[in-house]
Amino acid sequence: MKLKYQILATCCILLISSCYKDQGNYIYKVPEEININGIEASYNKVSLVDKITINPTVTSTDPDAKFSYWWGIYETNVQGSAPKVDTIGRTKALDYLVTQPAKGWVLVFGAKNEHTGLSKIMTSNINVVTQFTRGWYIMKNDGGKTDVDLFLTPSAITPGSRMENVFSLVNGKKLDGEANLFGFYTNYKSNVTGAYANTRALFILSDKDASVVNINTFKEIHSINNLFYETPSVNKPGSISESSQANYFVNNGRLHSIYSMSANVGLFGGQQLRDDNNSPYNLSRYFLAYPFDNPFFFDETSTSFVSATGTGSVLSAVTDVSGTEMPANRNNKTLLFMGVKSTNPYVGIALFQDKTDPSLKILSTITPSNYALKMVNDTLAPTDKLYQAERFGLIVADENILYFSAGQEVWSRNLSNGAEQLQFTAPAGEKITCIRHRKYTGGTATEQAFYYNYMLIGTTGGGNYKVRAFQKTSGNLATAPDFTMEGKGSAGDVIYIAPPINNYTYPNSY
Amino acid sequence: MKQILTVALLTTLLAACKKDQYYLYNDIARLQFGPAPERIYTTSFEMADTVKPYTFYYEPATTTQDTVFFDIYAIGGVSGNDRPFILEQVTLNGEENAIPGTHYKAFSDPSLKEVYVIKAGEVHASVPVILLRDASLKTKNVKLQIQVKANDQFQPGEIRKLWRRVNFTDMLSQPAAWNASAVQYYWGKYSQVKHSFMINQTGEKWDEEFLTYVNTDYALLTFWRLKLRTLLTDYNNAHPGEPLTDETGETVVFP
Repeated sequence: MKLKYQILATCCILLISSCYKDQGNYIYKVPEEININGIEASYNKVSLVDKITINPTVTSTDPDAKFSYWWGIYETNVQGSAPKVDTIGRTKALDYLVTQPAKGWVLVFGAKNEHTGLSKIMTSNINVVTQFTRGWYIMKNDGGKTDVDLFLTPSAITPGSRMENVFSLVNGKKLDGEANLFGFYTNYKSNVTGAYANTRALFILSDKDASVVNINTFKEIHSINNLFYETPSVNKPGSISESSQANYFVNNGRLHSIYSMSANVGLFGGQQLRDDNNSPYNLSRYFLAYPFDNPFFFDETSTSFVSATGTGSVLSAVTDVSGTEMPANRNNKTLLFMGVKSTNPYVGIALFQDKTDPSLKILSTITPSNYALKMVNDTLAPTDKLYQAERFGLIVADENILYFSAGQEVWSRNLSNGAEQLQFTAPAGEKITCIRHRKYTGGTATEQAFYYNYMLIGTTGGGNYKVRAFQKTSGNLATAPDFTMEGKGSAGDVIYIAPPINNYTYPNSY
Repeated sequence: MKQILTVALLTTLLAACKKDQYYLYNDIARLQFGPAPERIYTTSFEMADTVKPYTFYYEPATTTQDTVFFDIYAIGGVSGNDRPFILEQVTLNGEENAIPGTHYKAFSDPSLKEVYVIKAGEVHASVPVILLRDASLKTKNVKLQIQVKANDQFQPGEIRKLWRRVNFTDMLSQPAAWNASAVQYYWGKYSQVKHSFMINQTGEKWDEEFLTYVNTDYALLTFWRLKLRTLLTDYNNAHPGEPLTDETGETVVFP
């Protein structure tokens, strides 16, 4: 009996614990929601000219909301330091004169409900621009000197007006020699802002001179005479490229590099050695380069491919991938053209001419694999139009097609089946000077009017150049160009620059 | 017996209770070495410049003496009068010690009477140590270690900051910046032949100042490493079968 009482008492103790007063809150309020409207995803502003004028509407589900506001701005594409947010306003309406240098910035707006303590942050991209930060640049030569024309595109990709000779206009000089190659890099280091930092830099290479300019101002950062730690004895630029964490500059057939993953001052180092014996070498101006893979150059002295690293002293040897149809070393060929066809996968196209039998011309598809190459050959018949090719322009990534000029005509060659097709005939009196595929695409609403995909064909005649911008469909040019850019001289290269364009927008290639 | 042991133990422990000698620097003026004035409040530079290497190698033959400076500080406030201080050489056992009058101008030299002084109203002075270019320095390195000696104006300051040393010679010597890291990654093993080759081929001094400058910029380091490697390769190519060899018989190489 006693045991029963004890069990009963125990149960009562346990059960009594459940008899508590419910103090739960069953009034379910919807969490506060703050809405901010009236701020665009991005703005384009001219430094020291335009204002950011925004008066957003801020609402809250809290009927007693009382807001405080905050505006800030910080820069993007910063390397080597943490971006600092500058406060530019503490009222809801912002009316701020943009003083930041031309580049990408982020505008930050914060609204805090002082009643509840809840905050909401919104950001918007600010592309600070100058007259130089958007437009078509054409490198042209006239009378043995090279200069650059800028075709402004204020509202769409079709140019509205032309600024002639902007390089000499800003820098008071022209480059020596014939127009050759543009290179655009947004991670090039310079101290144009007072401290060494990433700079949007355009390299302008002629066959006898070079300059790197700050695209925001077009002021020269370095001429070829102070672009290297040691001034070259011969000025003969071949190429500028970016690959495997370094920039490479071929001058007088020798390779110079800047390792971009360490602090640097934008100067190229000494001539890399061909081997441990410092054997002579002479790199072709044509190259294969892609920022996330190894670069490949062709040594015309040894008729061999070589590679490199940004920190190395000696060029890297290149070997053969099993099944290659041409050796990477001592292949006894002259390189007539080489360029990047696609970056993913990393594939290049090269046209060779045999040294012993100059009538033998071979078109090769090159697939790199680390420091080895696999080449698949297509021997050209003398009847092939490509056999007489003078200028070349690969379609990058879109189609498996090589464009080339033969006399007055621009032809395409389908690299899959060898089919050749006439695409354009230059009017009488015009000579084809360059063929360039450029493409700028994306999903930014404010850039939609500027996105394009053109084959650009440069001609010269009567001392003037014309660069026709053709759309293409399945590798075939439209019957008429969308627009033609014209100026004095002979065009060597064309590039479109806009604030969102960076060093990954265009492939490194001729 | 147990009580005796207890008393002995307590007595022993009591003996350890000795008041440590802390300098409050409020008794008398004291003197000690330190870093350059702009780094006096940077803890990491407290012991900077303790040992300075020097060589007459780069100086013209007409240079018979040169001066190395150290920074010295008075502690305990300024004075309205000039306060002379005394330095003395410390003999280093087993080392080639500098000889006063031969390798350096003795601190007691009458011509130096006015230089070892903390000026009125100041607490800092640059201490000149005048090194003499004796012929014996062409074949050896000597060391001159100095320390503060008490006088009627100053007592010594912190013990670890009472000394400085100059290692000097008239030969090429390994600069401090040609350190273990530089040996491994940039310039390789030090030798006088290699050092001389670097100087003669590039026209640069490759002394402490130049190496320190080069060390600040990785790209510049890379440039010079490639330049030196190229120059050495060209030299060896021009002397087939006779590569550049250092004083120990090893072939000179750059990493």
